[in-house]
Amino acid sequence: MDFTYRGRCWKFGDNIAVDGDMMPLEFALQRETRLEVLGPHLMGGLDPDFAKKAKPGDIIVAGKRFAQGNPHIQGLLGVAALKLGLVVESIPRGSFRNAINAGAPILPRCPGVTGMADTGDALEVDFAAGRFRNLTRCTEAQFEPLDPSLLETIAIGGWKAKVLARVAKMKAAAG
Amino acid sequence: MGQTASEKIISRAMGRIVKAGEIVHPEPDLITVHDWYVVNFDKALQEFGVDRLYAPGKVLISTDHEPVAVSAAASARQKQVREIVRKYGITHFYDAGRGGHGHVFPMELGLVRPGMLVLAYDTHVTNYGAIGCLGIALVVEVSELLACGSVWVRVPETVRVNLKGRLGKGIAIRDIAQRLIKDLDPDLVDYTTVEFGGPALADIPVDLRMTLCNTPLEIGAKSALVDVDQRALDWIAPRAKAPFTVTNSDPDATFKAVIDYDLGMMEPQVAAPPTPDNVVGVSQVAGRKVDYAFIGSCASCSLTDLRDAAAILKGRTLAPGVRLVITPGTQEIATRATAEGLTQIFYEAGAMLTAPGCGPCAGGRIGTIGPGEVSINTGTRNDPGRLGPKDAEIYLASPLTVAASAVTGRITDPRELL
Repeated sequence: MDFTYRGRCWKFGDNIAVDGDMMPLEFALQRETRLEVLGPHLMGGLDPDFAKKAKPGDIIVAGKRFAQGNPHIQGLLGVAALKLGLVVESIPRGSFRNAINAGAPILPRCPGVTGMADTGDALEVDFAAGRFRNLTRCTEAQFEPLDPSLLETIAIGGWKAKVLARVAKMKAAAG
Repeated sequence: MGQTASEKIISRAMGRIVKAGEIVHPEPDLITVHDWYVVNFDKALQEFGVDRLYAPGKVLISTDHEPVAVSAAASARQKQVREIVRKYGITHFYDAGRGGHGHVFPMELGLVRPGMLVLAYDTHVTNYGAIGCLGIALVVEVSELLACGSVWVRVPETVRVNLKGRLGKGIAIRDIAQRLIKDLDPDLVDYTTVEFGGPALADIPVDLRMTLCNTPLEIGAKSALVDVDQRALDWIAPRAKAPFTVTNSDPDATFKAVIDYDLGMMEPQVAAPPTPDNVVGVSQVAGRKVDYAFIGSCASCSLTDLRDAAAILKGRTLAPGVRLVITPGTQEIATRATAEGLTQIFYEAGAMLTAPGCGPCAGGRIGTIGPGEVSINTGTRNDPGRLGPKDAEIYLASPLTVAASAVTGRITDPRELL
């Protein structure tokens, strides 16, 4: 499966909080899941204009413990809403599952990646192969790729779409 | 090359050898869901167009978050749960007053055994590690599991903790379990199984091993396990409902880290607001006035915990103005506590006993506190709002420290009363 994003880098540091930094907590408390509501607020706690500036295919590059805090899915749904990719040094497991379930492509374990790009650099990230290319710097790095079964979930649009497809397949098999 | 216990358990479920880091779709031996989530999963299954469970005989439902319904809505929900259980033909249903805390009684009843893989809704399913069963929480994805029979799981790496030394007077395993999650690096522990063994294990009763397995997830661990030793086997053998295989890690397994941890710490430990890993020695918070104390929750609800509380409360009464709620974890623990005379000690001290289960720890539905009040308790978490009002302060400590503080009305080092 080809799963490559080409776009600009948006770089963030360590310990970006899922509540507050990535998305207002209120949306988590309201269990808001509509992409059109969440997208415009993404990363608003750090850069109120982020959602206006970011374009589909752009990549968020971040440091350790990205999306830390109570594992609310809303921040990750915001990433999926804007059709961005994630390349992070580390991410707590609850938020990793949420990224997959939201349908946001991610390379979850990329030690040192924040030293390999700056905001504005042109990037090309192949999530299936784990290949990270900085086209501005003409550098390339290889990280642990995303498992094919998780890529399938992202490709189909996240957890709910995946389960519906799985159930349909089971029903078809059962005749 | 040897395997860790987690690798062995998931390998057996998969029918092939798996290694840490692999993404797999194992079918678990048991699936647990608690009273409060049953209606939610039913709704999710309806959205998925699913009208039967993949394996209803593997599903266990406990009634522990709100066994005594405290509102009309809660009573209606209990009724709905019974209907849902009938609709799907779920065999292991434990209604109010049957069983007790779902993170504890399935071990007592021998439904959970060493070497099993249990996937669950609720995060503290890691308690089952006390007897060598790998429990992993899925939260909302349990709906997919119920419908389809499996979900993806990343085979966890293992951080091995070898316990050594001896507990000092007035120090409880709860103190160790709390201090450990302050001392461990969350980046190291994230997504791993924290596995306990070592020479001090033989001194630790099986029911307190649940406490050890309860806290690591608060800093990101996926699960927790304790080596199954003779003491554990003596506890399990008369209870097990079916044969089981002891599944400890091989000595030459690959561990992410191996840590020696000494039980001989200097003083009891207290988790100060706002997180369970914000842990300090009791001397740093001693003297803080308390209004409300609670002993129970899946972290500290065992017979040994109740004995510790009774050792402090015997012949004493609570400080004026202080309330103390005690929630035995299960029907069995409550029965044995009564037979031993502990219940009488609690009542004579001025404590209130509630139905077995989570007690007030379950998100502040029963036994809430007033605005701005201060609680010291043995719950699992101390986030603002856990016991109702957001401005209430919550301190977490051992049953010894909580009982001592309830007697004096201030956060107190229990060694002063022992």
